[in-house]
Amino acid sequence: MADADSQRCVSALLNGITQRLYYGNTEITEEFLKNELYAEMTEDEFRALHDKMRSLLKSIASADMDQAQLEAFLTAQTRKQGGGAVSPEQAAALARFWKTHRSRVRESLLAQSRWEPALRGLKWRVDLHTSASRGQVSSSPVALVELELGRTGESSEFVCVEFDEQKVNLVLKNMAELQESIDSIVHRS
Amino acid sequence: MSDTVSLFGGRVPAEVDMLYKHLKNVNRETFTQILRAVVDAIGGQDCCESVRVISESGLISEESLNHVMAGLYALLKEALCQPSLKQEVFSDDLRALRISEELLADIVVVVFGNRQTSMNVGDKHQGPSLAKIEDLKWRVDVAISTSSLSRALQPSILMQMKLSDGHTHQFEVPVAKFQELRYNVSLILKEMNDIEKRSILKIQD
Repeated sequence: MADADSQRCVSALLNGITQRLYYGNTEITEEFLKNELYAEMTEDEFRALHDKMRSLLKSIASADMDQAQLEAFLTAQTRKQGGGAVSPEQAAALARFWKTHRSRVRESLLAQSRWEPALRGLKWRVDLHTSASRGQVSSSPVALVELELGRTGESSEFVCVEFDEQKVNLVLKNMAELQESIDSIVHRS
Repeated sequence: MSDTVSLFGGRVPAEVDMLYKHLKNVNRETFTQILRAVVDAIGGQDCCESVRVISESGLISEESLNHVMAGLYALLKEALCQPSLKQEVFSDDLRALRISEELLADIVVVVFGNRQTSMNVGDKHQGPSLAKIEDLKWRVDVAISTSSLSRALQPSILMQMKLSDGHTHQFEVPVAKFQELRYNVSLILKEMNDIEKRSILKIQD
């Protein structure tokens, strides 16, 4: 019973650290975690546990460990002598935690090295021009596209572009080439 | 009563109204040269050289040349921007402006002789529209290692879009977002094709 409880606390601690470290949730402070999870611990004991978990998480995340690597890493950590050693419950909690958070943490780390504004979303609509204040216009369809661009942590900028059919075709051709270029370097499973 | 609308509607601009006065002493050859220069100017071309030649020929006074150019410019610009304008209506308009039959024929030829020119002019003066893409460049990068991830090996796309309003936008597109973008662009094309098919059917009705 105590084991399950302590494992739950470790999982919650890992979650809290990840929220702050990788998901940009600054509300979750060290103090908050201590009060919520380890109220009975002294300041120093908690600090040691927190720092140990954080450094383990950082190692796992920066290497983007897969299942086998993580297992080997945790086994080595549990065999360590002294205060830095990882208990079997902690290792189990880490393994379980990483399984669910790996892709999201990786995504957040990738975003940290992205400096150009990124494409966040797009909206479009297709119109048919019918008339204008000056003379008649050809009644061919036009596509209006709104691109949402923004740097991480900054508000978005919106760019509106108009396309005729020919331009859409051209852009699509460009994208097919682009896709080919990606396919040539990424091996699909 | 006629249901046709004349070129300027109610009020004729002063420079057009005064055109006939300044055309009195202009011979046809000079007039043709001026006409050509004005058409070039409306089409967005440089006409400084041709105007200089006309001015230096001494066949028309500086003042008259200025007035004739201004009047013709206002007249032709209006006429060329109205694709629905009818030739008879336009000729009547010119007669009402007291322009001689000889010169009238020349002006009508310019406006109706070549609809292509008038369409091009129409394009230039077209009303509101959003920016269009002039150029699209892209690059695929694979991040090997970053300050926060030792083995990233993640492809990403850098796109550069040059717009007709002079702006250039550069942005990264994560691969997943790129798939979304590509899917949506194909969808747009499909919608456009569908609309066209529908309008063809409408004409057949």
